[in-house]
Amino acid sequence: MLPDVNQPVWKNVVSGEKALRSSKATVNLLVQGSKMSYGRDPSLANVQQLIVKMHSFFTRYESSFPEEVSQLI
Amino acid sequence: MLATTHSRLQSIEEVEAAITGGKTLFLAGSREALSQLPRGSWVGGTICYFMTEEGGLVSDDKIFSTEVPEFALEAKAVNYGLGNLSYLYSDAPENGITFLIIPAATRLLKVFAEQAPSFDGFLMHPVVGWVSGVRMDRIGKEMPAVFNGQTGEVFENKAVALHVALPANKQAELEIVSIFKGGDGDVIHFKDEGFQAVGCTINGKPVNLADYIVAKGINTEFPLVGDYCGCPVNVSIQNVDPVTHCVELYAPVFPGVDYRFAEPVEDYAKAFAEVADADQTEPDFACNCVLNFIHGKLEGKKTGNVTGPITFGEIAHQLLNQTLVRMYLRDV
Repeated sequence: MLPDVNQPVWKNVVSGEKALRSSKATVNLLVQGSKMSYGRDPSLANVQQLIVKMHSFFTRYESSFPEEVSQLI
Repeated sequence: MLATTHSRLQSIEEVEAAITGGKTLFLAGSREALSQLPRGSWVGGTICYFMTEEGGLVSDDKIFSTEVPEFALEAKAVNYGLGNLSYLYSDAPENGITFLIIPAATRLLKVFAEQAPSFDGFLMHPVVGWVSGVRMDRIGKEMPAVFNGQTGEVFENKAVALHVALPANKQAELEIVSIFKGGDGDVIHFKDEGFQAVGCTINGKPVNLADYIVAKGINTEFPLVGDYCGCPVNVSIQNVDPVTHCVELYAPVFPGVDYRFAEPVEDYAKAFAEVADADQTEPDFACNCVLNFIHGKLEGKKTGNVTGPITFGEIAHQLLNQTLVRMYLRDV
């Protein structure tokens, strides 16, 4: 089951501290985009936005990316 | 395994029959060919280069037709200009696939290339498509265009999208396939985003990119490869100006991405066939880049089991260069 949006794993992924390995282009674009945005603006407000966006993505597509979700747990 | 859509090269008469028969189509063809079609449920863009089952083909009187499958719930054509482009993804159905065509050499394409990742709904709603163009020897003499078959409109400065809603048991998946590898060459970083590159750092040291290309004798037929967490996002070189020391690009580079020049590819056709045949599932839609067609001398050569238009830019969520894009409608 997907971790709750307030779990620290999300911040670690959007900031690039935790690598999320995937063979799927969509996930790689998502993670790279988050890292780039975090690099430009590491403010708390931006981090929250990035977390919400990534959490929403995996909530929507949880069943499509089981290997990626398993790395978040 | 067969695709769920019907994607094939057809005569104008065959496409006309499909339109009048009520099919919803995503089309690629010359301006002359598309102009002869009746109004109906279709969108299209200008291109005369194709991957066919017989090999690469240049044709002004054939149309590559991708038929939206019967199980689709709804298909709606929408025109996008600078004023509403940012709604592209949020306009898409909750579960679906959006087919998009943008004319080459437009302000709209530049905005899409640079800003799409910041648009609301980016990546949440899959968008696949391509950049329309003209024959290479007509560049600057004719304008690329897009057609909205539902309204009969033709645009040279707007994009057209076909938003297709899918049932809950179907989901679109996009694949980005590159035959180019960044390898272990010098790592290039850009401070500013954009279609022009002057300054950059290479392995951490400030360098002028044009001077670097000239000094190293780099073959600019091969792209810069951006590393997006392992996904290759190619940026093709348009021009290296030794006077202004500026490098013009076919897609923007972005800060925060590791770029490397691609390792040379000897045989494009063989390389594409290898990656295409690695997945025996026929895609529901695919497109490849005209630079691969030209540099790889692909006319008449087969590139595996993938067919589709050969375009002035490919779209899988965002703008890509020198890339094979594949879209699958999967059962979920």
